[in-house]
Amino acid sequence: MNQWFKKFFLRNGLVLSLYMLLVTFIWIVVMFVLPQIFMFDFSFRFNWTQIDPSKIGGPDDVYTLQHYKFLLFGSPNNPDPFNIVDVSVFAHTILTAVFVTLFDVILCYPVAYYLAHVAKGGVTRLMMLSLVVPFWINELLRAFAFRILFGEEGSINNILVYLGILSQPIDFVRENIALYTGLGYAYILLMIFPIYNAVESLDRNQIEAARDLGSPWWRIHLRVVIPFAKPGITSGCTMVFMLSAGALALPQIIGGPSSLWFTQIIYQWFNTGSNWPRGSAYAVSLLVICVIFVLLIMKIFKVKFGEIGR
Amino acid sequence: MSSSTFLRFTINFYIFLFFAYLFGPLIVMSITAFNSASFPRLSPWDCFSTEWFGVLVNDARMMSGFKNSFIIGIAVVFVSVPIGLAGALMLGQLSNRVRPVFYTLTISTILVPGVVLGISTLIFWDRMGMIFNTEYESFFYDGIFLTIIGQSTFISAYTMLVFISRLQRFDSVLEEAALDLGATNIQYFRKILLPFLKPAIGSAAVLAFLASFENYNTTVFTIVSESTLTTVLASKVRYGINPSISALAVIIIGLTLTAAFIHEVLKRREHARENELEKEGKTLKVKTYSKTFRNPVSVMVLLIFVAGLGTAWMARGYNVQQCKIEAFAEKRKMQEELSKKRLAEMQKKLESQKAASATSSTTKAKKSAPGTDQYGSIFAPTNLGGQVESDEKKMETPETPKNQYQSIFAPTNLEAQVESKKQKKETPEAPKNQYQSIFAPSNLEGQVESQE
Repeated sequence: MNQWFKKFFLRNGLVLSLYMLLVTFIWIVVMFVLPQIFMFDFSFRFNWTQIDPSKIGGPDDVYTLQHYKFLLFGSPNNPDPFNIVDVSVFAHTILTAVFVTLFDVILCYPVAYYLAHVAKGGVTRLMMLSLVVPFWINELLRAFAFRILFGEEGSINNILVYLGILSQPIDFVRENIALYTGLGYAYILLMIFPIYNAVESLDRNQIEAARDLGSPWWRIHLRVVIPFAKPGITSGCTMVFMLSAGALALPQIIGGPSSLWFTQIIYQWFNTGSNWPRGSAYAVSLLVICVIFVLLIMKIFKVKFGEIGR
Repeated sequence: MSSSTFLRFTINFYIFLFFAYLFGPLIVMSITAFNSASFPRLSPWDCFSTEWFGVLVNDARMMSGFKNSFIIGIAVVFVSVPIGLAGALMLGQLSNRVRPVFYTLTISTILVPGVVLGISTLIFWDRMGMIFNTEYESFFYDGIFLTIIGQSTFISAYTMLVFISRLQRFDSVLEEAALDLGATNIQYFRKILLPFLKPAIGSAAVLAFLASFENYNTTVFTIVSESTLTTVLASKVRYGINPSISALAVIIIGLTLTAAFIHEVLKRREHARENELEKEGKTLKVKTYSKTFRNPVSVMVLLIFVAGLGTAWMARGYNVQQCKIEAFAEKRKMQEELSKKRLAEMQKKLESQKAASATSSTTKAKKSAPGTDQYGSIFAPTNLGGQVESDEKKMETPETPKNQYQSIFAPTNLEAQVESKKQKKETPEAPKNQYQSIFAPSNLEGQVESQE
């Protein structure tokens, strides 16, 4: 370690070394790791700021598990064995995020493959650009667009009723269809590019060899392309899963009125509930479960973390 | 052979559907910005109008949010670009054992949900403020400062990825050569490395600004009592929507397309220059010029521009107010027909309740429209009960039509309408209110007819 520092300072000189060390230290430690630790710590504390601010730092300011208990079992006089609302919202969030991820893989894999191996020159460029352009537009505006499309008097209902397919407009928002479509839409780019990067580096000769040996197209994909693109697919899945589980704007705007997203509950504890420690406990739970889930998936598919984000 | 044609057709159709999914919502949203109806929609189309752009510009909250977003975006660029650069340089020099850990940590900042980042930043600085015992006005509690820090945490990782991909193409021989020739470390950094990284710095800055500008999840927690464009937008979209948001979208989409176009042109020019260096002596000026027009993107932008000009020309000498009045009259006619139809259907069913509800609705009509003249009895406010929501907002526009229709459009007429609409919205499980307000007028008419 000491030796490394010596080499590092010798190579970069004093000023640059200090710049690099200091800035990365501030970024990783002060801006990222310490806040996470503080949030973790805070989630085990009583909500003294609201109850009695003078007790902060006093003898009563001890650790407690009450917020995690609340997430699982609800308030002490809750007759049910579990905190049914919060736990079911949590399960709904995770499950939906999984389905959104699967939907995106299925949707994006053909396009990524097309981009990498079928489309040529100018077409590829144009497609790339038109992939990126929608994602420069604000997430909220995209959600708004979906609200226009899927509202009860929205364009899709109008068209379907006009064509006589529906006799009565469907409330897509209430049925959460708008939310699922919107979430799938929001993270397309994050799925396509990792898969594209992985598929693109595949040697075309491998595909041709498989074809010459008489393999039908679906088997080529199943046996040659997909195994090769696995790191890209997994990294796309990880990002889409984490981001859709942690989405806030889309559920707020196009989520059904009767179903919540877990981040909305966190938001409520911070804003209207004024219970920051409980909100942090919920946030920590979300983070931990998501990370465990992702690590599990990586273990199953045997992909290393370092391969993500390339 | 035919099966392969079929396959090809399927694939192309799939790609088409995919891009329709990608662009459909944005196109629909952009079109709704030009519909004068107060609810963003494609059909029924009322009138072509650009009034929503005016509404947008005059929205003080939106504009102050925009200002804050802009300030935060610039600050985030200045924080996250140096951090990303340091991170990328650092990554290249770490030992093989430490590098994966460092990389995992930096990438985690992207993967951790933005909500969690916002919360942890908020709590951390709140506690810091407590530890240092600072005043509430200090920057520890300042929404803009917290947002800059919170956003930079993960945006730095984006910029780092940009720098990493550029540094991969860096020839390390250059470094050795410079140092061998007696350059100091700082000279090497300033004269060799930074010029090489210049394009990456540019794209990292743009990326950082855009990511900051459109961020919501982190911002909504860290912004505390201030507001940014996204938080204003979110509250607007949640509590009642109108097409001024579509107008904002049109502006942003326009800017994005322009930026994409410029980016494409610059890239082509750079490409051409590289070609020029390779094939010396060949004149490439004509070639690049014609290439610009062969570029599909430029054709697309040109088409959009022409379409915009076309609509502007169509809009010339076109009276929005006149159109609105016509649309309103037409709607009223349709409404009357509809209510007559309904009357025929409902008359038998309502036989017994008719008397009671009719009297109640007449008193209601008298109460809510005291200022109506002789037309009042015909166009009683309750006549409009079932009218579409949009008509209410239309009347609120500053230039209320001043003509013979005035009494019909009197704001008092609309109160009843708005009320009934609101009741409908708020209590969907209480059909009684709805029932009364919709069918009451037709009952009334039925009575008149039967008396005649």
